[in-house]
Amino acid sequence: MTVFKHFIKIALRNKGVILSYTIIFLILSILNGSGNVQRESNFIETRLDIGIIDNSNSELSNSLKDYLKEKNNIIDTKLDEEYIKEQIFLGIADAIIIIPEDFDEKVINKENSIQIYNDDRKTESLQIENQINKFLTFINATYENGEYDLKDVKLALDKKTEVELVESDNKENNRGVVDWFKYYYNFTSYVIMAIYIAAIGLVMTDFTDENIGSRMKISSKKFLQFNKEIYLGQLTVAGMITLIFILGSIVLKGKYIGEVNFEKYVINVVVFSFSILCLTFLINNITRNKFIINAMSTVLSLGTSFMSGVMVPQEVLGENVLKIAKFFPTYYFVKINEMTVNSFLDMKYEISMQLLFAIVFLLMGLYFNKVKQKA
Amino acid sequence: MIVKVNNLVKRYKELIALDHFNMEVEEGEILGLLGPNGCGKTTAINCILSLLNFDKGEIEVLGKKMTPDSYDIKKQIGLVPQEVSVFEKLTVKENIDYFCGLYIEDKNLREQYVEEAIEFVGLKKYEKFYPKKLSGGLKRRLNIACGIAHKPRLIFLDEPTVAVDAQSRNFILDGIKKLNKEGSTIIYTTHYLEEIEMLCKRIIIMDNGKSLVSGTKEELKAMITTSEKIIVGFLNIEDETINKMKNIPHVIDVEKDDEYYIIKFENGINNLANLLEFIKENNLTYTKLHSQLPSLNDVFLELTGKELRD
Repeated sequence: MTVFKHFIKIALRNKGVILSYTIIFLILSILNGSGNVQRESNFIETRLDIGIIDNSNSELSNSLKDYLKEKNNIIDTKLDEEYIKEQIFLGIADAIIIIPEDFDEKVINKENSIQIYNDDRKTESLQIENQINKFLTFINATYENGEYDLKDVKLALDKKTEVELVESDNKENNRGVVDWFKYYYNFTSYVIMAIYIAAIGLVMTDFTDENIGSRMKISSKKFLQFNKEIYLGQLTVAGMITLIFILGSIVLKGKYIGEVNFEKYVINVVVFSFSILCLTFLINNITRNKFIINAMSTVLSLGTSFMSGVMVPQEVLGENVLKIAKFFPTYYFVKINEMTVNSFLDMKYEISMQLLFAIVFLLMGLYFNKVKQKA
Repeated sequence: MIVKVNNLVKRYKELIALDHFNMEVEEGEILGLLGPNGCGKTTAINCILSLLNFDKGEIEVLGKKMTPDSYDIKKQIGLVPQEVSVFEKLTVKENIDYFCGLYIEDKNLREQYVEEAIEFVGLKKYEKFYPKKLSGGLKRRLNIACGIAHKPRLIFLDEPTVAVDAQSRNFILDGIKKLNKEGSTIIYTTHYLEEIEMLCKRIIIMDNGKSLVSGTKEELKAMITTSEKIIVGFLNIEDETINKMKNIPHVIDVEKDDEYYIIKFENGINNLANLLEFIKENNLTYTKLHSQLPSLNDVFLELTGKELRD
């Protein structure tokens, strides 16, 4: 097992690559997980600073204004888009609402009647949208014979409901923990791809060096045995790296493992690792240039992570971006992390796709290997 | 014969790298493969070792046909490639252990061989160093140790002293002699004449992929017409006298090289005495005069019409 032993030795001497990615990743995971795993058990509605521009000045629009005034603080604003955007950007206003001239007509026709300026990144945005939607829903419910019953609406809106969050049967009911595991494992796809290609790739450039390769070829070590030991070495190094990240999640959030579908994450990351190992095999058979390998490590890991929804949720990504992302295993890996899985069958398509990629990478790698040998 | 190569032809598209190349190596000898850069020495070795496919010809090593799967033959072969081919991330000892481990599976025996190889190349105090910390000469020694640690019967050394300082070169050449004394047959390629003259019992001169001649140094030198060169520097000499000089017995040619004249003689005795008599008769004054026996470079020059180092 000389080849295997020395493969591991050389891989461990490239520990700089492995450690730098791992340490940064774990530090970020610790920071990310330090505050958001507490269970949410109540909901408090806060008063927001909002501006209202009423171009309709009808009974209905005044009723809406009164309702919003009760719930929020009203600030001054003016009908100037630049000015409004500046108020939102500077945080002077949480939202600016513009009621159109034909407000009544649009409400009757159930058209989008109100224009809201707000900061989508803030959760407060949802609150003001909820309040307006609630008002409009109630108004529509009382519409009869061309009139609204504004008194009834006011009564209904004034009623308060005590909300208590009840634990459901679903295992993944602790949103904070679920999100932490989701983000943690989503980001492992980035580090695993970067480390595999860089660390294993760099070791392989040494072993596939033309001159060192000649020495191996004239030795009495059988080619098949040599390859077996090399692949075993790759598998061991890859296994160790993936294990570090699985253990990392256990060390950081071990006490919450029972609250998430941990098996889903482990199976998914193991399958994904195998797929990326096959991708590394393909890259090693395409190039022996260390600079190209380093570049591929950075570009592929960052590129596929971004496209597949690691950095930004898949829902926010454009259709075309997702179409391209489907040509990489990271997309299917992230999909499994994002979905609620009750049995293995729920994720069989995504797992199969990752394995299919592994087979394709492997076959392509073998093809390039053959071509190289013939040359 | 430990190696027998017959009519070997290797083409790279239009370029003929080996053109009906022939070679025979006897067990226990040091055979020198001499030729200018690009003449096909490394290609010949790579074909013999089955590292390269060839178009035509036959190769036998240790009495058997050599193929990529001839593991029983490969077990007895060592290669020291032209480039230093070691792992930068392994220490001196680990490198030797790795390459020795490709042949020797027994751990204890391997440890012993590795220690012996380290001692042999004089790298004991550098055994924990990484190659990048070694000088060019020490790297070359490591390169050799990696190729010979498993004690092969047949060793191919491909220009092992390129870009090496004088001290390391002497160390390497002494080591090669020692390996040969211990029973290894050595095939040594180089374009350094002095090394070939110092080491090799038999020499094959190559050019343009062909083996031009082979034999001992003496046999090769006897093949050419020039048997002696006398180099003289004159104070004053006229062209007419130079022409007269060509009439001295056994003189083949007189050439001017800067301020000196090179007078070439064919096989004969008293060449120097005849020249001195001519100088006296013509009242010539000389500043320098010495006699030189033909070198391998002269052999190469006469065979190919060009200098070995061109």
